[in-house]
Parts: sequence; C-alpha cells; structure tokens
Amino acid sequence: MSNMPTPRQQSLRTVLFWAVPAALLFLPLATNAYTQFIVNGMLISVLVTLGFSLVIGNLGQLAFANTAFFGIGAYASAILSAKLGIPWILTVPLAGAFGALGGFLASVAALRGIRSYYLAIITLAFGELMRWAYLHAKPLTGGTDGMPMPRETMFGISLSDDTLKFYIFLAVTVLLVKGTLNLMRSRFGRAVMAVRENEIATASLAIPTARVILATFAWSGLVVGCAGALFARHVGHVFPESFGMLQLIASFAMVLVGGLGSVLGAVLGAVLLTALPEYLRAFPGMEELFFGLIVAAVLVAMPRGLASLLRRLSPVFTERYYREGA
Amino acid sequence: MTLLLETTGLSVRFSGLTALDGVSFRLDEGQVRAVIGPNGAGKSTLFNAISGYVTPTSGSVLLKGEELTKLSPHEIAEKGIRRTFQNGGLFPELTVLENVLTGLHAQTEGSFLDILLGRAKAIESEAAMIAKARDLLKLMSMDHMADARAGDLSGGQQRIVEIVRTVASDPPVLLLDEPAVGLSPVARAQMMEIIQRLAGEKGVGILLIEHAVELVMAAADRILVMAAGARIAEGTPAEIREDRAVLEAYLGHA
Ligand SMILES: Nc1ncnc2c1ncn2[C@@H]1O[C@H](COP(=O)(O)OP(=O)(O)O)[C@@H](O)[C@H]1O
Ligand SMILES: [Mg+2]
Repeated sequence: MSNMPTPRQQSLRTVLFWAVPAALLFLPLATNAYTQFIVNGMLISVLVTLGFSLVIGNLGQLAFANTAFFGIGAYASAILSAKLGIPWILTVPLAGAFGALGGFLASVAALRGIRSYYLAIITLAFGELMRWAYLHAKPLTGGTDGMPMPRETMFGISLSDDTLKFYIFLAVTVLLVKGTLNLMRSRFGRAVMAVRENEIATASLAIPTARVILATFAWSGLVVGCAGALFARHVGHVFPESFGMLQLIASFAMVLVGGLGSVLGAVLGAVLLTALPEYLRAFPGMEELFFGLIVAAVLVAMPRGLASLLRRLSPVFTERYYREGA
Repeated sequence: MTLLLETTGLSVRFSGLTALDGVSFRLDEGQVRAVIGPNGAGKSTLFNAISGYVTPTSGSVLLKGEELTKLSPHEIAEKGIRRTFQNGGLFPELTVLENVLTGLHAQTEGSFLDILLGRAKAIESEAAMIAKARDLLKLMSMDHMADARAGDLSGGQQRIVEIVRTVASDPPVLLLDEPAVGLSPVARAQMMEIIQRLAGEKGVGILLIEHAVELVMAAADRILVMAAGARIAEGTPAEIREDRAVLEAYLGHA
C-alpha cells in the first residue's frame, strides 16, 4: 500500500540531490565546447520546464504564459545590461522580478474567474502580445534585429566562455530547484495541490486560495524569468522569434514527458528533450518527425511521465508535500 | 451553556427561488444540533451561508458575538467555523497525512520566505504539525493509512479522514453536511459516535445534516427541522417526535 521512503531512503534522497550538481562540477573537464553549450541549454530548459509544470501540473491551471515569462526575463536582462550597463549577473535576479510581475499579471486572469480553455486563450494571447511588443518597441528591443548582449567579463573571464557560464547557470539552477522543492514540501506546496484538487474545499480549511494562486504564478514567473536572463547570455543575442509557439510547445512536451507537476520530472523531461535533437541530427529532414514520434511513444507508454517510472523503481523518487526531518 | 454560533433571520435568494427563508437558531458549546428536512429544504444552503460560500440576502451570522456575514470562506474558517461537504471534499491525489496537514495550514508557522529559504522556524513548525496530524490519525486508528493516497481509501475511511482534517485545528464550531451518507450501518454508527465524542470531550459545537432520522434522534441534543427554506420546528428529539408540523411536512413522508 505505502510507497513512501524510509528515513534511510530520505537521507539517500538528500545525498542524490546534492550528488548530481557535485558531479556536474567536474563536467567541463570531460567535455568538448559543443557539448558544453548543449548542457548549458539543458540547465535553462530545466528552469523553464519547472516553472511551467508548477502552474499546469501542481496548481492545475491551463495557463500558457510561460513563454511570456521567458521572453520578459530575457529582454529584461538584455535591456538592463545593454541600455543601463548593469552587470549581467545582477540582471538575473532582476529578470526574475520582472518574470514574477508577469506571473502576477497572468494570475489576475485566473483570479477573475477566467479558467480552463478561456485561461489558455488569454495566456496565449499574453505571450503573443509580448512578442508583438518585442517586435515593435524597436528603440528598446531592436525589433526584428533583436538585441546583442554587451561584451562583459567576470573574474577576468569573458562571459562568452561556456565553462564560466556553465558554473553560473548551474548555481542558479540548483538554487531555484532547491527553493522550489522547499516550497513544495511545505504548507505552501500542499495548498497549491489542494487548489488543483478542490478549490472550494481548500478555502474551507482557512487557506487563502487567491493568494496561493497568485504566489504560484509569481514564483513560476520568477523561475522562468531568471531562465530568460540565462538564455540571453547563453545565445548572446535576443530575438523575438525565440519566444513564440515553438518554444512553448517544446516546453509543454518537456513537462509532459517528465511528468506533470513533478520537480524530478521537470528535470528529466528538460534534459532528455534537449539532448534528443542532438541524436536526431543523424536523420536529416526527419528530425521533427522522429522527435514527435518519440514524445508520443513516451506519453503512450507512461502517461504520467518519466518520473512515474522512477517512482515505480524506488520509493526514493516519491515526491511528498511535507517535510519530515532535513 | 456558552453560546457559540447564532444566526438571525438568515435568508438566501437565488434569482427568484428563496432557498433560505429567515432562519434563526443558536448553537452552544458541546452541543450537537441536527438539521433535518426533505431534499431541497435548504439545509446545505444554510451551511453555505454560514461558511461564506453564498452571501445571505438578509440576516446575520455571529460567532461568539462577532459578525461574520461579510467574510470570505477562508476567513470564516480561520475564525473557527470548519465544515465538510455533502459530496466529500478530500484531495484524492494527496496522501492521508497531507490531507490532514492541509487542515493545519493556518496553524503552521513560517512566512513564504521562511519556507523558501528552509529556515528553522518553518521546518520546526512543519515537524510539529506532522506530529500532531499523526497523533490525530492514531486517535481514529487511521495511522497505518497515513501514507496512502486518499483517493484509494474506502468511502467510510474517506469520510473519517475528512472529519480528522476538519477538526485538526481544534475549531470551536463544526458543520457536517451528511457525513454518514453512503456508509454501511456499522460505519454510520461509528460516525455518530465520533461526532458525539467531539462534542462531549472537546466541547465542539456541531451542526449536523443527516437523513437517517433514527440516528439523528439518538445523536442530537437539539434538532432544527426545515422545509422549503424555512424553519418549521425546533426542539429536543422528544419534542420533535411529537411535533405535528414535522409529522406532516417531513416524518409523515419518511
Ligand atoms: N448555488 C445555487 N444556485 C441556485 N439554486 C441553488 C443553489 N444552491 C442551492 N440551490 C437551490 O436551493 C434549494 C435548496 O437546496 P439545498 O440547500 O442544497 O437543499 P438541501 O441541502 O436541504 O437538500 C434547492 O431548490 C436548490 O436547487
Ligand atoms: Mg444538501
């Protein structure tokens, strides 16, 4: 009946959590420049997927403003660095703040009682509106030409160095994943799930549902906004096209393949689907077809995503919404 | 007897339909008050009006003399009126323990930032609440189910977990909307025993909607009888048994 980790498995889980980034610290020693670039992109995808999954998986709201948060973060970072000369690293938390603001705006629709398909349409429109703004606010965003990120050094190393970027991206990703886990394994995470399961009953437990919805959207926006700032530095040049439907569909696939509402799933889905196109390069012209087929096959075989497979293998991977001990 | 909850002339109209028609009653500490009446009598609407889910057209709700009529559901719950739902309000995808913990949300300390940063304040309070939730489950002999998915429990077990979740925060007032519906006769009797124990041992004031008249007669201290939104009788079980209006409007059809 019970598929819950024992205290020993709990410590194992903690060890596993920190072992992954610890092992990754040595990755730049064992990889070439190209792979390093792909891995950097994976870290960004992990954050984008995590923020998306939180809203559609945990909170259960059909909101697709994720790409808007991503673009807001990327443009905030680019504008703050290029126009105001703020060091890029400082634009990361600022981009997170702008992303959170975007999340707040998206939550207003949900709090006004716009739900399900209507919320989906409104939030998609939000994303398209932002893209329109990037195209038309030319003096600020460069329009179709986009915005190059200014040259900059940190610790005397150029920020175009992928190894330096890797360590920064890794630190940001670990902090935000850990923060999200802390949130989910608390009364906040339970309240988020409760809203998804039965919003009316949730209010009867003295849980302020409106505040929970707002905070979830804002945290999602913050995580994805920070990812946007990393992305701006990752590609070095921000274009409006990066924040359209393709990006949204790719993130959606990562959420589903990993497992809706699972932090572990967000990581797995993002890593696998970022790596997959690299392997599909062997089949020129067929990449999209194979990509779609593989995603569909995973979802048919595992409707609850890769995380559900790991859960079946060991209770160590069971995600809980409370925190007993460390 | 200490007065806990009082409604005066509580009315609710839904576009033309008067679902609740000037209902007044009081609920004392440690009292079990049953609300009975045919389907559509307005019993659930009375609960919804008290707990803030529908706005009364007129009348008021007072908890220990404090006016609650304008507050939202979560504020009323925080003031100490907790309720269950006729159709069950458990969160099926959460575990039994997580469900009970949601009932302790307002008692769990630590701000959003404390939780985010994993500060000791939040973690310690979380641990205390988990211990409390486990104790409560043990009291109902449900502790072995703590890690089960709530949706996997039997109907009777789900009803019991919902009660545990509802009383976890030690609320002074409980509103139970048909907590025994769909249960076996044995489970129904168990449920009534739990309800009487909560009132007798903890002094909780309980408002109970229940269809099985014989159970109600045995378990309740006082009974409020409703029909077509209005109160048609009020009294002890013995008085209600003799009431002609009740016999005609309700018991006669039973
Ligand atoms: N939200 C609502 N909107 C419109 N009518 C409602 C609503 N809730 C209840 N009613 C109506 O009010 C009347 C009383 O319903 P209810 O309080 O559920 O009765 P009971 O719980 O005694 O069976 C019924 O006629 C019902 O259809
Ligand atoms: Mg009813």
